[in-house]
Amino acid sequence: MKKTVIKRASALTLAALMAGSALAGCQSGGGTSSAAGDATSAASQTEAPKGNAANGKVYYLNFKPEQDAAWQNLAKKFTEEKGIPVTVKTAAEGTYEETLTAEMDKQEAPTLFQVNGPVGLKNWKDYCMDLTNADITKQLTSQDFALKDGDKTLGIAYVIESYGIIYNKTLLQKYCDSDFATVKSIDEINSFEKLKTVADEIQANKDALGVKGAFTSAGMDASSDWRFKTHLANLPIYFEYKDEGIGTTDAIKGTYLDNYKNIWDLYITDSTCDKTELASKTGTDAETEFINGDAIFFQNGSWEYGAVTEGGLKDEDLGMLPIYIGVGDEANQGLCTGTENYWCVNNNASDDDKAATLNFINWCVTSEAGTAAMADEMGFVIPFQAAKESTNAFVKIDKDLTAAGKTPVSWNFPTMPSEDWKNGVGTALTQYAAGTGDWDAVVKAFVDGWKTEAAKNA
Amino acid sequence: MATKAKEQKPKKKQTVGMKILTILFTILSVFYVAPVFIVIMNSFKTNGGISDGLFNFPTAETFNGLNSYYTGMFYGNFPFYKTILTSFFITIGGVALILFCTSMCAWYLQRSNTIVCKIIYYFCIFSMVVPFQMVMFTLSKTADNLHLNTPWGILIIYLGFGAGLAVFMFSGFVKSIPIEIEEAADVDGAGPLKTFFGIVLPIMKPTFISVAILETMWIWNDYLLPYLILDKSYRTIPIHMQYLNGSYGHTDTSAIMSLIVLSIVPIIIFYFACQKYIIEGVVSGAVKG
Amino acid sequence: MPTGTRHAAPNEGNIMFRKPRRKLYFLIFVLPTLAAFIIGFVYPFFHGIYLSFCNFKTTSNATFVGFDNYIAAFQNEGFVRSFWFTCMFVVVSVILINLIAFFVAYALTLGIRGSNIFRTVFFVPNLIGGIILGYIWQQIFNAILKNYSTNLELNATFGFWGLIILMCWQQAGYMMIIYIAGFQSVPADLYEAARIDGANKKQVLSNVTLPMMMPSITICTFLTLTNSFKLFDQNLALTNGAPGVVSESGTMIYQTEMMALNIYKTFYSNANSRGVGQAEGVIFFLIVVVIALAQLFLTRRKEVQA
Repeated sequence: MKKTVIKRASALTLAALMAGSALAGCQSGGGTSSAAGDATSAASQTEAPKGNAANGKVYYLNFKPEQDAAWQNLAKKFTEEKGIPVTVKTAAEGTYEETLTAEMDKQEAPTLFQVNGPVGLKNWKDYCMDLTNADITKQLTSQDFALKDGDKTLGIAYVIESYGIIYNKTLLQKYCDSDFATVKSIDEINSFEKLKTVADEIQANKDALGVKGAFTSAGMDASSDWRFKTHLANLPIYFEYKDEGIGTTDAIKGTYLDNYKNIWDLYITDSTCDKTELASKTGTDAETEFINGDAIFFQNGSWEYGAVTEGGLKDEDLGMLPIYIGVGDEANQGLCTGTENYWCVNNNASDDDKAATLNFINWCVTSEAGTAAMADEMGFVIPFQAAKESTNAFVKIDKDLTAAGKTPVSWNFPTMPSEDWKNGVGTALTQYAAGTGDWDAVVKAFVDGWKTEAAKNA
Repeated sequence: MATKAKEQKPKKKQTVGMKILTILFTILSVFYVAPVFIVIMNSFKTNGGISDGLFNFPTAETFNGLNSYYTGMFYGNFPFYKTILTSFFITIGGVALILFCTSMCAWYLQRSNTIVCKIIYYFCIFSMVVPFQMVMFTLSKTADNLHLNTPWGILIIYLGFGAGLAVFMFSGFVKSIPIEIEEAADVDGAGPLKTFFGIVLPIMKPTFISVAILETMWIWNDYLLPYLILDKSYRTIPIHMQYLNGSYGHTDTSAIMSLIVLSIVPIIIFYFACQKYIIEGVVSGAVKG
Repeated sequence: MPTGTRHAAPNEGNIMFRKPRRKLYFLIFVLPTLAAFIIGFVYPFFHGIYLSFCNFKTTSNATFVGFDNYIAAFQNEGFVRSFWFTCMFVVVSVILINLIAFFVAYALTLGIRGSNIFRTVFFVPNLIGGIILGYIWQQIFNAILKNYSTNLELNATFGFWGLIILMCWQQAGYMMIIYIAGFQSVPADLYEAARIDGANKKQVLSNVTLPMMMPSITICTFLTLTNSFKLFDQNLALTNGAPGVVSESGTMIYQTEMMALNIYKTFYSNANSRGVGQAEGVIFFLIVVVIALAQLFLTRRKEVQA
């Protein structure tokens, strides 16, 4: 009891302090600047929220279960520092839309939530506050990271991630040094053809290399199938969009589905296990195989860095290749880099709560504690000016590749029409791998499914 | 209720056919217990051991001791003991509230046979038929508007949604009590309150137990209602389990197994503590419901 | 459902609740339950019916659309498919559960050695909740199916039989208890009389046991019927509707999704289809009412005959 009284008292004091420093708190940026000042500037600068952040509270419905603990800690720090209560709740895996739908109806609705991109925004646009003039928008390193509806900024990307084919550098070098290797240097792998040659040769000489297969098992268990039904499927979509010069569509043509088939065939053939076993392989299985050196290639992303280093692999063991599917200018293709995580502020929240929420997110991306937590604890690369240099090896690779003039592949999977669509493709892929279904079913799920699912969103 | 005319006697002479049946049932029992046994066994194995073979006994290599019980306690960044406490609180509180309120209500409804009472009674019966999906949205919305999204508040929802069966069962029993006893008490000057608590309540004991058993089984295992109504900062055991079932490729199966063991233990204790009543509760619940 | 009105209520002009005190005691005895009942059932129920005729995202912005939602519900391929899947599941599970429970109960009332242990073993799974059971069985089935390079999420046939096995495992014990009570309530002198009349075992079964067991059979049939029909937790935890396959018309169909789960998904996965989800809820309710009325009708008729 006593504790809460003290907390409340300190909250009031802080509020007074913050009101005092509001005038001085306009300049923001560098992580070392006065945190209290930064926080209030959000409230004072933006037009929409007239509320007082000190009276508000924040309810953040977090999307990523694996970052739940880190968010809870960060929220606690913010509350200690500013006296503004922050509640972080996390939806169970795969139930974010469902949970958000239910939570939004409640009186204590989330003040801060996330959408995955334009498709998600369509559903939630009525609930999104216009952030065009908010401080956080000005903190973005590029306006590309603002999610817009017309000329209004409704969402702010808060994490940029990259994925590709992670490889075990030591083992891959061992292959390159072998007699049977056609490809003599890792740098030579810059197309689907080369990748296939390498993988096939590794697979054929797996005993000599001491591995069980070229690729880790492409597990289609629910804990792992998103790597293929969502992330891998991004590539044919990306190249089709590029051809058509569009950013989203209601009817996908499936121009590059044959290439999708080729890479999928490669994954499931040059693998640590028989393709018929993939149905029950999990994400953990693939991760373990990679860590144990049973496989050389592992399609995954920068978020996997923590797991593989904890597993004992060193930075110098790790590399990441772009996912080549045999389309476009492969020599200049980069990693798949983008975001499916945009913060939105609930427009129906009270003015005080809105101000508090803006305060919170601005603090997260500008303060020392916030940027440190996002970079180190959550392993995020954040597209904000005050971002801390990431220690993530995969992020560095992405930076180097971009610096070398490679074009990153953008994330187009947030334009996939629905979760149902992904599941349909996933089932078809698994059945194809297991031999109980044919590739036509994948095409059907991809093309026909897209049309029906997109129609539902209209 | 059931005439005990054919109560099985263990000393009865066993014919060949009966012996075969015993053997058959023993085999069947093994299959019946197997799933629970598998869970217990795997809770002592490492994750690697589980994915290698769910049915293998732990070996020196895959034996994990009580480790998964330790990790399980905080697995999913949510303390499991809090979940257990919430489940206990809601179940005990909900059942107590239902018993107390609906027994009084049922007695009044039966003894004061006005139109209003009849309408309420038939509505209660009617509510037993309605599937939860029909009211899930409006109910959770109502609960939220009234701030009943806490473990305290949800007790009221349980009273409301569980009233049907309880009122029905209590009413059925009240009808069978001769009213003369109550009238005699009334003549002696005891008011309805005194009559109810002093005379009716003790007679109702068997029904109390039946209702308690049925409602306990319902509330303890209920998933969707608390999931939709409770604030996300509270979890009951089913909610917790469903939450842990799958999180981005890092499912700690062995921790989940240990939590399942921990949540089955109270059920087993409950069964052996009130075995007799549970059987009676099930039977009378079925006959009346 | 309501079958217990065997005792005529002898409470005309009950002195207990004479007029002057009636209101006060109504408040004490009935009001708490009534208030909770209105909050927890009556209001949500009528509000739900109202909303099934509306287009809405939240309750505050509902607009009346007449029967549009119902039409959309019947055109919803996933919903219709889940109805047939549910029916198939109900038929198989009701028959299997009752057959197993009936014969197990019969055997256990013969007085074989270990009856009490068997009874406990068969009954206890019933006390474990659907979510946990679903998870346990998911692990077991997948561990077995792994040897055949498949899993529950891949093949609807396995999903279907998985659900059936799970339900039999869980429910047979419960029904067995009711059947045992039924067997025990058959008066011993009836058997005695049949024996004196020279009836053989088969005749005793069909002429004495079965007719006397009819009430138990009816009860168990309807209990399993409604339980299976309303199944949700087990379905969610075991297969969650998987596999999802794109149908001829391009619609995503979750092949092992039962009605309750389908309604839940329609409602919460897309805020655009809430009205339809609510209408489906009402349709679901009406089907359950029909089942309940059938039961009422059958049990009433039996009582008259008995």
